[in-house]
Amino acid sequence: MKNKTKNIAIKMENVVKNYRLFHEKATLIENILGKSKKEKFAALKGISLEIRKGEKVGIIGSNGSGKTTLLKIIAGITTLNSGKLLTEGKIVSLIDLSAGFHPELTGEENIYINALLAGMDRSEMKSKIKEIIKYADIGKFIDAPLYTYSSGMKLRLGFAIAVAANPDIIILDEEVSAGDEDFQRKSMKKIDEFVREGKTLLVVSHWMDFLKKHCERIIWLDKGKMVADGGMRILNRYQSGGKNSG
Amino acid sequence: MFWLNNKQKKWWDFVLAMTEKEIKSRYKMAVFGFLWIFLNPLLQMLVLGLIFQFFVPIKTINYFEFLFPGLLIWNFFSYTITKNTPMYINERALIQKAKFPRESIVLSIVFSNLFHLLISFLMFMLWTLLVREGVDLTRWLVLPIAVGWLTVLTSGLSLLFSSLNVKWRDINFGVQAIMPLWFYATPVVYTLDLLPKWIERIIYLNPMTAILGLFRWSIFGMAISWEPIVISLVMTLIIFVTGVVVFKKESPFFDDWI
Repeated sequence: MKNKTKNIAIKMENVVKNYRLFHEKATLIENILGKSKKEKFAALKGISLEIRKGEKVGIIGSNGSGKTTLLKIIAGITTLNSGKLLTEGKIVSLIDLSAGFHPELTGEENIYINALLAGMDRSEMKSKIKEIIKYADIGKFIDAPLYTYSSGMKLRLGFAIAVAANPDIIILDEEVSAGDEDFQRKSMKKIDEFVREGKTLLVVSHWMDFLKKHCERIIWLDKGKMVADGGMRILNRYQSGGKNSG
Repeated sequence: MFWLNNKQKKWWDFVLAMTEKEIKSRYKMAVFGFLWIFLNPLLQMLVLGLIFQFFVPIKTINYFEFLFPGLLIWNFFSYTITKNTPMYINERALIQKAKFPRESIVLSIVFSNLFHLLISFLMFMLWTLLVREGVDLTRWLVLPIAVGWLTVLTSGLSLLFSSLNVKWRDINFGVQAIMPLWFYATPVVYTLDLLPKWIERIIYLNPMTAILGLFRWSIFGMAISWEPIVISLVMTLIIFVTGVVVFKKESPFFDDWI
């Protein structure tokens, strides 16, 4: 029993997340005058799930099904309104890798801040900086300000920082298969390495081949509810279901 | 910082790294980045001094000299708060991407501006030492307290306004409208003894009054009344606690509103 709970990477119990719905920007004046509408939008309507360490889980669902909200809650970017969440280990998201970069600072200066953002501490970052620069492989550009980078270079740098953080739980989408062939090969190799090391993968994608390649379990969300949770066969159901309704 | 535990050390590392980023990016944008920080209050001093010297009779020191440290402190206060208020909206890319102590964004602006304030202030102090005679150095021991007080007040207001602005975007306009008024409600260009006695109690509701008073008492040896300082102190505490409470309540949900 004890061993079983130890192996849990993520546990959610009846998680509910509501958003306020706005048709315009909210203002204090309207709030005081009582003019603001309090429309609620339920993004997650009671999700319960358990993901064990080392599992490779794909999350599917149409736009607005709650995939992003679910991942944001797991990553701690936003907070649930009711229910319980338990995560074990360092979580790093490989989604939107270049979001934390400052355009005026150089690649190396950006590594400092983004390594800390990815959960490293200062000494860890300092010991890994050479490794990150080498892995990113963007040559002389490491001393140039970020606004001179191509999108592929930003992707490389962002990926290099994220994987150096040595996460236990990795959240990714098909963006890691963007970039040139060399980067694709490199990033896939790294992800396979993570899988072999027994790290937990959470993959969100609309790209079925990508999910088939990286996952062994599929969670299907629709309108904030879990439709199905199980093996890869769900993908077939999802695809045919999507065709029927579409 | 060996007395901190691991978590606190990590927090400080993060806040300091954000501050460093803030300072560095400022210098990247303008070659003489630092010069502007000193030049701005200098120009303000010249223009304001030219006019107000005819309205504000100060016997003991030159009016321009009187004006300068007050402007440095006021600029720190108003720049920091005006910049911080829309900060969570401006940094939405960062907030939507990662989990990190949200207060570090606001504190990094406070600390980077504090760094600039301290440099300009040091230069001013050097100048004072060279030019003025009979400077009471023991009174300078109060300066760190005044700087600390200023930092606490500025941080509290920054946390308060920036958190509220995530929810209600007109807070930013409110702050922009209040700051110029607040400038005249603070004895930056004038001294308190020009005002009738009954205003004194009211004007100390503004903690900046006491902070400026402390600075002038320690640098110029100008008189200060100690009892109403308590009013400012209590106000600062109220502001700071409100700021922290509102921030703690709102910050887990910043991502939902931006």
